Amino acid sequence: MSGYRLATGGRVDRTAPAQFSFDGQSYEGLAGDTLASALIANGVAVFGRSFKYHRPRGVLGSGSEEPNALVSVDRGPGRFTPNLRATNVEVHDRLTAVSQNRWPSLKTDFGAINDRLGMFLPAGFYNKTFMWPRSFWDKLYEPAIRRMAGLGEAPTEIDPDIYAATYAHCDLLIIGAGPAGIDAALEAAGTNKRIVLIDDQNELGGGALADPSLFEWLERSVKALVDAPNLTILTRTTAFGYYHDNFIGAVQRLTDHLPDGGNAAREKLWRIRAGEVILAQGAIERPLVFEGNDTPGVMLASAARVFANRYGVAVGRSVALMASHDSGWHDVFALAKAGEGITAILDIREAVDDVLLKQAADIGVAVKLGHSVIGVSGRHGVKAIEIARNDGTGKMLVSCDALLMAGGWTPSVHLWSQSKGSLRWRDDLGAYVPDKPNEKVRCVGACAGTWNFGSGLVIDELPTPKDQARIKAFVDFQNDVTAKDIRLAVREGFRSIEHIKRYTTNGMATDQGKTSNLNGLQIASQAMARPVTDIGLTTFRPPYTPQTFGALAGHAKDALFQPTRKTNIDGWAEENGAVFELVAQWRRARYFPKAGEDMHAAVNRECLAVRERLGIFDASTLGKIEVVGPDAAEFLNRMYTNPWKALEPGRCRYGLLLKEDGFITDDGVSARLAPDRFHLTTTTGGAARVLNMMEDYLQTEWPDLNVWLTSTTEQYAVIALQGPNARKLLQPLVQGIDLSAEAFPHMAIREGTICGIPTRLFRVSFTGELGFEINVPTAHGRALWERIMAEGAQFGITPYGTEAMHVLRAEKGYIIVGQDTDGTVTPYDAGLDWAVGKKKPDFVGRRSLARPDIVASGRKQLVGLLTDDPNVVLEEGAQIVADPNQPIPMKMIGHVTSSYWSATLGRSIALAFVAGGQGRMGETLHIPMPGKTHTAKVGGMVFYDPEGTRLNV
Amino acid sequence: MSDTLVRTEPVPTVPFAGGGVTISRAAPMVRYSIRARQPQALETLFNARFPHKIGATEGGIACLGPDEWLLRAGEGTAIPMSEGLPLAVTDISERAVCLIVEGARAAEVLMSGCPLDLELFAAGRATRTLYETVEIILIRETDDCFHVEVWRSFAPWLWTALTTAATH
Repeated sequence: MSGYRLATGGRVDRTAPAQFSFDGQSYEGLAGDTLASALIANGVAVFGRSFKYHRPRGVLGSGSEEPNALVSVDRGPGRFTPNLRATNVEVHDRLTAVSQNRWPSLKTDFGAINDRLGMFLPAGFYNKTFMWPRSFWDKLYEPAIRRMAGLGEAPTEIDPDIYAATYAHCDLLIIGAGPAGIDAALEAAGTNKRIVLIDDQNELGGGALADPSLFEWLERSVKALVDAPNLTILTRTTAFGYYHDNFIGAVQRLTDHLPDGGNAAREKLWRIRAGEVILAQGAIERPLVFEGNDTPGVMLASAARVFANRYGVAVGRSVALMASHDSGWHDVFALAKAGEGITAILDIREAVDDVLLKQAADIGVAVKLGHSVIGVSGRHGVKAIEIARNDGTGKMLVSCDALLMAGGWTPSVHLWSQSKGSLRWRDDLGAYVPDKPNEKVRCVGACAGTWNFGSGLVIDELPTPKDQARIKAFVDFQNDVTAKDIRLAVREGFRSIEHIKRYTTNGMATDQGKTSNLNGLQIASQAMARPVTDIGLTTFRPPYTPQTFGALAGHAKDALFQPTRKTNIDGWAEENGAVFELVAQWRRARYFPKAGEDMHAAVNRECLAVRERLGIFDASTLGKIEVVGPDAAEFLNRMYTNPWKALEPGRCRYGLLLKEDGFITDDGVSARLAPDRFHLTTTTGGAARVLNMMEDYLQTEWPDLNVWLTSTTEQYAVIALQGPNARKLLQPLVQGIDLSAEAFPHMAIREGTICGIPTRLFRVSFTGELGFEINVPTAHGRALWERIMAEGAQFGITPYGTEAMHVLRAEKGYIIVGQDTDGTVTPYDAGLDWAVGKKKPDFVGRRSLARPDIVASGRKQLVGLLTDDPNVVLEEGAQIVADPNQPIPMKMIGHVTSSYWSATLGRSIALAFVAGGQGRMGETLHIPMPGKTHTAKVGGMVFYDPEGTRLNV
Repeated sequence: MSDTLVRTEPVPTVPFAGGGVTISRAAPMVRYSIRARQPQALETLFNARFPHKIGATEGGIACLGPDEWLLRAGEGTAIPMSEGLPLAVTDISERAVCLIVEGARAAEVLMSGCPLDLELFAAGRATRTLYETVEIILIRETDDCFHVEVWRSFAPWLWTALTTAATH
C-alpha cells in the first residue's frame, strides 16, 4: 500500500498542518484528518499487530467499525488511552500515538511466531491446552497468557482528567447525523418538539461527508439545524447504550481533539430520556472472506472512498476491487474521479448491471466477472493479488498496492437490538433489519435496510481452489478468527451462534463483531447446511463502542466518589487527633491517641477512664426513627419481639427486631415520649434498612394503623456521657430535669434543656456504667461537646472512640448485631430469651421461632470464652473445635465473634458462637490459631459487674 | 451559656459564585414533617391551607406524598403538636440544610445529577428526588431559584458536587 495525499479534494484544511507522532516518528497531517487518514497520506500501511497471530494489520474501515488499527494515545502522565481506533482519533498538533500488541516493534514482533504455529492454535486452543496439569495454572499458564493476551496496555496511573455528567430530556432523540438523520432532524425542527441530534463524528453528515455532490446540501442543512432553536446538536458523541423507557447513555468527547484541553472536562456523560428515538446509525460494509484478506492495504471499498472524498487521501496508486456488491463499483468510480489509479475490478458475480460495465469501460478499467481473489502477496502491504475464476481455473497474478472489498452491507441494528426491538432476516441483503419496536423508536435510512447502494450476492467465503483447511481467510480481524475456525466449531458440535461465538471468540473483541458477525453466521450456516435464521444471532449489548471508565464514572471520583457522612462533632475529633474508621457511610472516631500511644494503649486508657471517671462519646450516627400516631405502641408491639404497649411515657426499652425468618436483624434502645410518640434508635449501619422494613410492614401489612415513621437520625447530635461522674457533670448544666436516681432511673428519658439547648436526655448505657445520652438539635452538637469537655476537666473526662465502646460493651456481654450475629441467629441463640414476649400473640418473626430447626437442640449459641492463658487475645473469626487431636479436617463447632483485651479485668475476653454453647458451661474448648492451639473455658457472656450495680446508681 | 448556642454548619458560610450560578446555604429555619391521611385535619389544626396535590406548594408547605407534607418556616415559628390526633407532626428542623441554587444556569447545574426534567418542573413545585445517589428535596422557588434540602451529613458532598458541576 502506498497511500498519498491527493492534490485536491476532501474536507481537510490544507492551510492548517498538524504535527503528530506515531511510534516515535513525526508526521504531518491536516486539520480535519484522522490518525488513519493522516498516516495513510504519509504512506504508512501497518498500524498494528493482530491479537492472536500477531500478523501485521492495516486499516480496514474508516470509522467506529475499525477492527485492526487500534492505537494508544498518550496525553501525558496518567492520560494514556489504549485501544482507540485510528479511524476515530482526530489529528492535532503534538498528538502522540503508538501501535499496540507488538514487541519489540511494529516491524519486528516476536509474537508473530504464533502465525507460523497457527495450525497448532485452533479455535478453543486455550480451553483445550491449558487445562493440565493443574499446578501450572497459577505460575505458568496464567502469567504467560496474560502477557500475550489482551489488547493494548491498561493504564496504571490515576487518571487526572475531569469528567462531566448530566441528565437531559427531549421529545425526540435522533442518533446519527448522516443524510437520513439530518432529514429527520430537519423535518422535526419545524415542530415545537425538543430535539437532540447526536453523532459520533466531528462534523455532521455521515456518509454525505464522502460524497462531494452532497456537500452543498449538507452545508445548507447543517445551517438550518444550527439555527433551529429547539434543537441541540452533540457532535463527537457516541450513543453507547439503549436502556429501558428510551433512556440512552451517550459520551461526548470534549477535549481529546485539542492540542491542549486546559482544565476543561475531557468527556461528558449524557443520560438522555427521550420521548421518541429515531435511529439513523447507517450500515457497515462487510469484508469478503478469502486468504490474505487481512494484509495491510486490503480494506473496505467504502472506506477508501471516505479517505479520498472526506480526507483527500488516496489509499494506493493502483487499486483493485473485489466485489460481490454494486456499491464497490460506485466506490472505485468515485476514487477514479478523485484521481486514484484503478487497476482492476473483480466481481464474483457472472453478470452485473450494464450501467456499471459501461462506467468501468469509460474509465478504462479491466473488469473480470466470475472471478475471486484467492491470495494476496506482500506481508506488510499488498504487492499483488492472485485471482482465479470461480471454478478455480485461470489463476493469475494482478499487481496492485491496495485491494478494496465490497461484500455488501450490514445495517447497524446495535441500539435497536439493545432496545429489544425484534429483527427480520432479509435474504436479499444477507442481513437482519429492524422489525417490530419494543420502545417508542424507529429506524431510518441504511440502518433500516433502505439504501441506494445497489444490490449484490450474499456469500460466506470466496471460492478458492486451495485447501480451505490450510488457508487463513479472516472473519474477525480483531480476534483473529478464520473461516476454518468457525467450521471447526461446527464440526466439534456447536450449533448455536452463541456457542460458536464463545468457542471461536468471533465477534467478542472491542469492535463487538461489527464487521464479522454476519460473515461468521453465513459460514456457520453453510457448514451446517441450515438457514441463518436457524442458527440464531448473538446478543447486542452496550457499549456500542468502548468507553472510558472516566466518562462512566462522571463526577463520582475522589471527593465525590461516595459521600463520607460526618457528624457535627467530627471536626472536633479531627482537630484532636482522632483515628477514624468507616461505619456504613459514616466516618467515626475509632480512638483518640495521645502522643506516643498506639491503638492498644489508647483504647486501654479510654476504657479505664470510663470505668473509673468519665468518658464522652459521639453517638450521633445511631439511627433514629420517630414513630408518631395513636397506633404507635401497637405498631412497635407488632414489630419488636418484646411488649411495648405497657411502656410508660418517660421510659425506655431495649428492642429486638427480627426478620420474618426469626433471625435478629437489628436492635436498639427506644423511648416513649408520649402515649403516641416514640423515639427509636437503631444500629448505625441498620438505620435505613430498619426504616424501610418498618415502612414496608406499615404500608403493606397494616395500612389501617394510624402511625407514621420519620427518620430523625440527623435531627439530633448525640453525646454519650458514661462513667461514675456522669451525673455530677450534668447536674449544673441541665435545666428542667431532676437527675436524681429516684426521679430519673436507668432506662428513662426526660426532656428539658442543657446549657440552654432543648434536649431529649436518655439515661441509658452501652458500657455498664452510669450513663446518659444527650440528644440536642444537630447544629449545636459541637458547641455542647466543647462545653462539656471544658466542664468535665475536673472529672477527668476522656473522649473515647468506637474501639473502646466495643470493649466496654463486650465486658458487659452486650451484643453488636452484625458482629456477634450473622443473619442466622435467633434471640434464643443469642441468649436474649428475656427479650421475647412469650405472651404476645404475634410479632415479626414469631412464627419462625417455632420451626423445628429453630427449636432443635445443638444450634450454635452465643457464649463467653475465657482463655486459660489470660494474656492471649483470640482472633475474631477463629474457629473452635472440641478435640484438637482429631484428624484434619477437624469438626468445627463454632467461631469467635468478639475478642478484646480488657484493661478493666486485666485479661482477655471473648464472645463466641458455639454449637450447643449454653449447655457447655465450664467446658474447655480449643481454638487453633497460627502457631498454637489455645484453650478456653465456656462461660457466661457478662464479664463485668453481672449484677448491674454500677448502672443503677 | 450563649456559647453553646453557636451553630456548626456542614457547608461554607460564604456562597459559591461562578459559571452562571450562585450556591449558598439558607438561614436556619424550622422544618416539620407532617403526616395525615387527609389534609383537612391539618388545615384545622394549623389554621392554614395545605396543598392537596402531590408536588404542589402552598406558602411554606409542600405536599411530598399522599400523606406527607413538609412545612418550612422562619426560626421561632410556633408549631401546634398533634398529641391525641390521628396524625403526626415531627420536628426535623435540623435534619437538613437548604442549599439555594440561583441564576440562569441553576436548572442546568442541578440536571448534572438530578434525573428529573427540570424544564417541565414549574416554579412552585416541590418533590423528593435524587442528585446522583443522594436524596434531596427540590423546591423551585422561581424560574432561576431552587431550594435543595439535603440531610446534613450529605450536604458537604452535595456542595462539592454542585459547585464542581457549575464549573463544567
